[in-house]
Amino acid sequence: MTSTTTQSGLARARRGLAPGGPGGGGSPSTTNRKSRLSAQTTRTFFWLLIPSVVLLVLIHGYPLVYAGVQATHDGNLIQTGNFVGADNFATVLSSPAFWKAAQFTLWFTIVGVFGSWLVGLGLALLLRTKIPAGGTFKVLLLLPWVVPIVVSSTAWNWLVATPDSLIPSLFRNLGLGTPLFLADPTLAALMVMVFKVWVSFPFMMMMISAALASVDTTVYEAASMDGATRFQQFSQITLPLIARSTYISWILMTIFCVNDFPTIYLLTGGGPVDATTSLVVLAYRTVFQDFATGPGVAIAFLMTLTLVVVSVLLYRQIRKSSVE
Amino acid sequence: MSAVLHAHPETGPALGVTTAGKPRRALSEAGMRGRWWRFTAILAITAVVLVPIMVTVLLAFTPGPNSTATGLTFENISNVFSKTLAGTWLQNSLVTTLCTVVVSVAVAAPAGYVLSRGRSKAVSGYSLLLFVMQSLPIITSVVPLFILFANMGLVDNLLGLTIIYVGSTMTVATWMMAAYFDSIPISLEEASWIDGCSVFGSFTKVVLRNSLPGVLSTAIFAFLLAWNDYLVAIVFLRSNEIVTLPMGVQSFFQQNNTDWSGVMALAVVMMLPPIIVFATLNKYFSVGGIGGSLAGR
Repeated sequence: MTSTTTQSGLARARRGLAPGGPGGGGSPSTTNRKSRLSAQTTRTFFWLLIPSVVLLVLIHGYPLVYAGVQATHDGNLIQTGNFVGADNFATVLSSPAFWKAAQFTLWFTIVGVFGSWLVGLGLALLLRTKIPAGGTFKVLLLLPWVVPIVVSSTAWNWLVATPDSLIPSLFRNLGLGTPLFLADPTLAALMVMVFKVWVSFPFMMMMISAALASVDTTVYEAASMDGATRFQQFSQITLPLIARSTYISWILMTIFCVNDFPTIYLLTGGGPVDATTSLVVLAYRTVFQDFATGPGVAIAFLMTLTLVVVSVLLYRQIRKSSVE
Repeated sequence: MSAVLHAHPETGPALGVTTAGKPRRALSEAGMRGRWWRFTAILAITAVVLVPIMVTVLLAFTPGPNSTATGLTFENISNVFSKTLAGTWLQNSLVTTLCTVVVSVAVAAPAGYVLSRGRSKAVSGYSLLLFVMQSLPIITSVVPLFILFANMGLVDNLLGLTIIYVGSTMTVATWMMAAYFDSIPISLEEASWIDGCSVFGSFTKVVLRNSLPGVLSTAIFAFLLAWNDYLVAIVFLRSNEIVTLPMGVQSFFQQNNTDWSGVMALAVVMMLPPIIVFATLNKYFSVGGIGGSLAGR
């Protein structure tokens, strides 16, 4: 990934800690000093890295290997059973619950990514223009993202959960019936998606605002002199200029949406009748409520695989957009 | 991803920063009207968006159904602390979060320094490894860790929770620190070596001392992750005295009978620290930091 390239590129640019770096190799005394420093550097680097490596092995490496073991064995949380090969994956892939959850996760992710992107883009464009107290609005609009999910899901619950909650009563008074937002499967699914967009749009707004801030405004002046309409300016100039940051934010938001547990679980618990059960919620329930460790971990692995594929596809778009 | 993770915490575009510095042009009458029209639009949007938060605050300070108080009152908040274990939950959350912040920075800063200054294959390999690890769903590692921690007596234990938080923040935190250290010129360190400073000495005395913004944005990221986490907490915590605030808030929800005054009072207590942190430190919290930080959630 570019990340590593950048890393090693930067590291290369900053050589000088090791012998042969810029300015090195002069008089014998310099060389001596450099090599002494180099041995010391290696030793120091080793010790500086140790805590990080230990944690990585303990909290990431070991669990990943053990998860691989669990995915290929039967058994439960207390005991790992016999080796069953790909049986757990077969069980998962042949269960309707998995496909239902996969389908919901797909919709949740699509609406989550593009919904929050569109709202974030609209607000970023609006806030870009001169508005009285614009800075204050920018900070206030970040609140949905800053407030803990447990708090906001509580508030949303109060607003929509029962027929007597504020928003259903409002609908009733307007003569629109009394929608049961969390009891009707379709409405509940829609509700968690709207909630997710509400939680995530500030992140998109920040990403897009940052990208827009680096765009030179003289480009627009030149374009309008050439007679470009507002829409043409937007689609021909703004969108291509923020393309790179857009793809990055799509990747990140895809990862957040697929891995999202609290947003869904706290608002609906995965219900009604599994209508809002995503893959993470299903994996959580499979392991901690049904105590079927193998299939639960298998679901997690399948999620990971999907995430990697989506990330790679979008990553290629980033590469393309930065070449152009 | 590099652009996100490497955005500079100081020079990177910070929150709330408007495009100042442009010469102010006299606005035409139409321009002025446009400004106020947009102001009204954004005011309306913000008002609608903030309804859930305003409702929380309002209910927290409104007398409950069994109260004799009138007007706005602190009764709910004092009740929630006297009648439930809210004080213990708050303490658990604070202790866990602060430990996570301190240990995350203590682990990530030295590792980030090596990532920034080292140039061997092993170092760039380690950097990539950290990146891959942070994008894996946490649910994959939670199950094996549960079994491991159960055997070690670390389930239902704040130390166990802290270890997992530190583990899940350290990947991104290390990247954030490395990105910040990249911006500190190596000539500063070279000068200190000539004065006889060791590599470790120049790291602590020269590099770290000049990295307050980087350290702060890493700390804020670790703070938000630990303070807001729900998934790890419900898996690893069991008893009522050990749980953290998110589970405390959830404990108010009972079948058909939720104490809304209590839950909203505790919700307000829970959302204050992140809002305070954002209000005071938001200039250190660049988009880059946020982008990287959230990838782990």
